[in-house]
Amino acid sequence: MTGVRRDVLICLALAAAMALLPAMVGTRYVITQITLFFIWGVVVTQWNLVLGVAGIFSLAQMALFAVGAYGTAMLGYYFGWPMPLAMLVAALVTVAVSMLIGLACLRLRGPYVALLTLAIAQVIYLMVVNDTGCFTNPPSGCMPLFGGVRGFSRFGDLGFRAILGSKWFIGQYYVGLALLVLAVLFSILLIRGPLGLAFKALRDNPGYAMSRGVGQLKYQLWVFGLSAFFTGLAGAFYAVQFGVVGPIVFSLTMLLFLLAMIVVGGMGTIWGPLLGAALLMLADEGMREMGDWRDIGLGLILALFVITLPRGLAGLRR
Amino acid sequence: MQIVASGLTLGAMYAVSTIGLALVYGALNMLNMAHGAVLALGGYVCFYAMAVLGLPAIVGVAAAAVICGGVGLAIYHLAARPMLNSANFETQIFIATIGIGTVIENVILRLFGPQPKAQPLNLPGALHIGHVAIPLQNVLILAVAVAMMASVAWLLGRTRAGRAIRATAQNREAAQLMGVRIGRVYAQVLALSGALAAVSGIMISSLAGLLPNVGADPMLKAFVICVVAGLGQVRGAVVAALALGLLESAIQYAVGVQYSFAILLVIVIAALIWRPYGLFGRKQVVRL
Repeated sequence: MTGVRRDVLICLALAAAMALLPAMVGTRYVITQITLFFIWGVVVTQWNLVLGVAGIFSLAQMALFAVGAYGTAMLGYYFGWPMPLAMLVAALVTVAVSMLIGLACLRLRGPYVALLTLAIAQVIYLMVVNDTGCFTNPPSGCMPLFGGVRGFSRFGDLGFRAILGSKWFIGQYYVGLALLVLAVLFSILLIRGPLGLAFKALRDNPGYAMSRGVGQLKYQLWVFGLSAFFTGLAGAFYAVQFGVVGPIVFSLTMLLFLLAMIVVGGMGTIWGPLLGAALLMLADEGMREMGDWRDIGLGLILALFVITLPRGLAGLRR
Repeated sequence: MQIVASGLTLGAMYAVSTIGLALVYGALNMLNMAHGAVLALGGYVCFYAMAVLGLPAIVGVAAAAVICGGVGLAIYHLAARPMLNSANFETQIFIATIGIGTVIENVILRLFGPQPKAQPLNLPGALHIGHVAIPLQNVLILAVAVAMMASVAWLLGRTRAGRAIRATAQNREAAQLMGVRIGRVYAQVLALSGALAAVSGIMISSLAGLLPNVGADPMLKAFVICVVAGLGQVRGAVVAALALGLLESAIQYAVGVQYSFAILLVIVIAALIWRPYGLFGRKQVVRL
């Protein structure tokens, strides 16, 4: 059996198992947490394409996620667009933003890319938070163009509340699952396909790759653009799932949490980031009672794994 | 004049924290993301020594420098040394130090709480030149920064240890072959960088107040300065730090505080696209 077939089969089997889950565990908390896992799963599989497969050390992924989330919220809030349309448009905007970022750090290497992308994310964050001018003045008070510190709420939902009533979260669960399955299938095909080969060639030896006709400009734009679509869509889904979008999506803790998932699971592998996402969400659940110690635990996990297991859990197999 | 004075103070503070980063990158190719947390730690140690234990200022500063130097040593032995020879050292150490920085920052948060504290090391009064008043605090910061930069320059240029550091930065293998114990050089550089971060943290917190995340913003700026100057270029970093400090206070005056960092970064991004190896960096030619 070829690698692609095997991975696709694993993916479909897992998806089928997850699809049966709501019939067995009914509590709202568990279902919502798993939905959140789907969202983070999408983000880490796509981030992994840039970070692990293409080897570009970009930290802009959470900013892209935020573009998707804010785009959806703003299209819904200001123009009253139906959510599915707003989500799709927001994801396309995310692709455009990501390609711009890819263009900006095209000539930079390694840690320079990390710093530049981190700086870009910080600029967007500062612009959002420091904007205190009122763009509109709804009865609930002053509303800056990008929502300011409060962010957006009440911009619409996917309509499951109307169909399923109090069981609306199960509808959201399946949307999240579908999104994750699509994103994982997409990343399998990409990693195992010719584009993935080109990315890996550029990662492992840019000089040789370029002399064999694998142009850096073209493929860097490809990887930034392709990985941004599902990231933006995940951000958009995050917005409708929670009904609130605030500057917290930019926070360093969140970035760290997702980066830790990829590192713990194994950068550049197909299943590693998902495994890491599942493990870290469980660990986070375990540390929930501990308040401030949570971040310390997270930092320790991140540092320990990089030092002792640099290839992540998925690297143990080899 | 007022702008120039505050710009110079800003630039001098940035310069001191940037030198540490640039040294570490120059010697080890390591971006130390825990730098900001060490900065904050320095500020808190000085605060604890002076406000809680009632020790004189000089003891507080010395204690901060020693403890942060120790933290730098610990980072080297626990994190950097085990992975020095791995293929993606740069990426791995970056991620590892993010983790370490988070731990330090949150330990501070646990110990001292989230309320801002005032740094007790403070000189009241102002220096009057014509009709411009420059707070003595700024004068002190400027003097300390210049003294620190001069001593680092002396250390790098005139001593045996400094020569070893420069040799390692230029070519690790060649230095090793010439009998430089590069392990010791790395440890020295990280300890020195920690001590510099402590002093810089005390200076910054004496103007801005103490918070567990007080180091995050200066660290980001220090990185920006490093990148603009070219990673690892110590002298370039000092020039870039002063230039960015002046630029920042000019923008704050002309356009407004909330936009200063954003405008700075836009300028930096433009500079990077123009010269991807930094203004003072040398273009590296890759041979196959």
